[in-house]
Amino acid sequence: MRKPPPIPIRLIVIGAIAVVMIIVNLPFIWMLVTTFKTEAEVFRIPPSFIPTIFDLRNYERAFQIVALDRYLLNTLFVALSVTALQLVFNSLAAYGLARIPFRGRKIVFAMLIGTLLVPPEVTMVPLYIIVRQMGMFNTYRALIVPFMSSAFGIFLLRQFFMTIPKDLEEAAIMDGAGRMRIFWSIILPLSKPALWTMSLYVFLAMWNEYMWPLVIINDLNKQVIQVGISQFVSGWEVQWTLRMAASTVAVIPIIIFFLFVQKQFVEGISISGMKG
Amino acid sequence: MVVLPSLTTQFIFIYLPLIWAVYISFYNWNMIRPMRYIGLDNYTRMFSNESFWNSMWVTFLYIIGTVPASVLIGLGLALLLNIKWLKGRGIFRTAFYIPVITSMAAAAVIWAWIFEGNYGLMNQLLSAFGIGPIRWLADPNFTLIALMIVGVWKRIGYNMVLFLAGLQNIPSTYYEAAEIDGAKTWTKLIRITVPLLSPTTLFVVILQFIASFRVFVSVSVMTQGGPARSTEVITFYLYENAFRYLRFGYASAIAVVMFILMMVFTVLQFRISKNRVHYG
Repeated sequence: MRKPPPIPIRLIVIGAIAVVMIIVNLPFIWMLVTTFKTEAEVFRIPPSFIPTIFDLRNYERAFQIVALDRYLLNTLFVALSVTALQLVFNSLAAYGLARIPFRGRKIVFAMLIGTLLVPPEVTMVPLYIIVRQMGMFNTYRALIVPFMSSAFGIFLLRQFFMTIPKDLEEAAIMDGAGRMRIFWSIILPLSKPALWTMSLYVFLAMWNEYMWPLVIINDLNKQVIQVGISQFVSGWEVQWTLRMAASTVAVIPIIIFFLFVQKQFVEGISISGMKG
Repeated sequence: MVVLPSLTTQFIFIYLPLIWAVYISFYNWNMIRPMRYIGLDNYTRMFSNESFWNSMWVTFLYIIGTVPASVLIGLGLALLLNIKWLKGRGIFRTAFYIPVITSMAAAAVIWAWIFEGNYGLMNQLLSAFGIGPIRWLADPNFTLIALMIVGVWKRIGYNMVLFLAGLQNIPSTYYEAAEIDGAKTWTKLIRITVPLLSPTTLFVVILQFIASFRVFVSVSVMTQGGPARSTEVITFYLYENAFRYLRFGYASAIAVVMFILMMVFTVLQFRISKNRVHYG
């Protein structure tokens, strides 16, 4: 093991990384600063990074002009529903694929994983028609039902279930436990980290979803936050203070949440290497 | 059967639409009048349509502009964060990852403000160097560049984390052996890290390629394909045909071509790289 380089060089490297870090996050800093400026202050040259007003008036006005509270609740409802459903369906499917031998298991697994190769843009038009014909156009169900299970979640959970030693189950079978009982009292409690990681991914993906709600939801009362903040209400597009306030509402809760759970999150990518 | 609910939903909401997309692409259909079979007309119309080729060209430029940049910057950051004596690695990693977890829609709204022509931050910063002002989102020469910057910014953290995972998999014995032979940092990088990282690199390139091919949200929020179709990428072209002009058959033909192209490119990249990738 060689000695690390002298301290000045180390400081230069760390300084360089820190500068890049600030540049990468500058848009968020700029967003926050803008929300604490007056409409006139925003159009001043040169721009200042120091806020001028220290209250939430831009946020209040943003909430008045666009129904942000409504969008937030809608999004929360949809994202939580999808996460709950995926926990149930994905873990069941993953258990079946990991532990229950049945004919055609490999084919079923391949078919499920194969869906990852199909980009949502390609199936969007027929999916739109199918969902419409099921009578779900403009409903929350349209945002929930098609996403009840995901190949990504099944894959992640299956990989985890397969690492659980079989001895535990064999002991339970000796004691007369059925499959469902093993699943419920042995597999699931042992898989909490994987279930948690999957839930984070699913929730985040649903929170950030834009394209599908854009096409399938017409009724603004049922719209989600990402489409809500990017819509063009007359006059809204030039009021950058308000648009930044709306973006802050959509972004900051997620960033704060992420800071708490980032460890599971980043490790999840290394496990699965999927889902961008 | 426990797998059945998932299998059914995946079938109804992914495979059925995929098959149906191919089917509809042979029809003329706008949801109002009944479907009419027109054979390959949608395809022949598409291939003789300038707008289609424009969208292919714009998408191609976007891919060329984003894939190398986001992969190389991601690799560079990963190499920096992988330095052994570096402190605060976790903080840096988290900070670089923040753009990845934020929604593209919100990010695009923020970037639209940064790229604003008169008072946007980008032009203000550039004016310090005597450049500009550039009308980023109004001048067809610059709109795609603006979108590329957003696309690269959004993805470098993701690529970095994939590279970091790849770097962890390189056995440290290689480096120890090289150090005994007196190898310099640069030599180790070129002779050990780069070759042994090549499976990860291939993986990152393919994922980035697909992500760039699928760009939609930033276009939809920031430019709506304009001005003068300068940012009308293939996904936005598909979206407009389907949901603005209600040409479902034509839009499905675009979707089918998109799908085939993505498959072909993925397979090609695997093939081409097969001989060059070293599995340590």
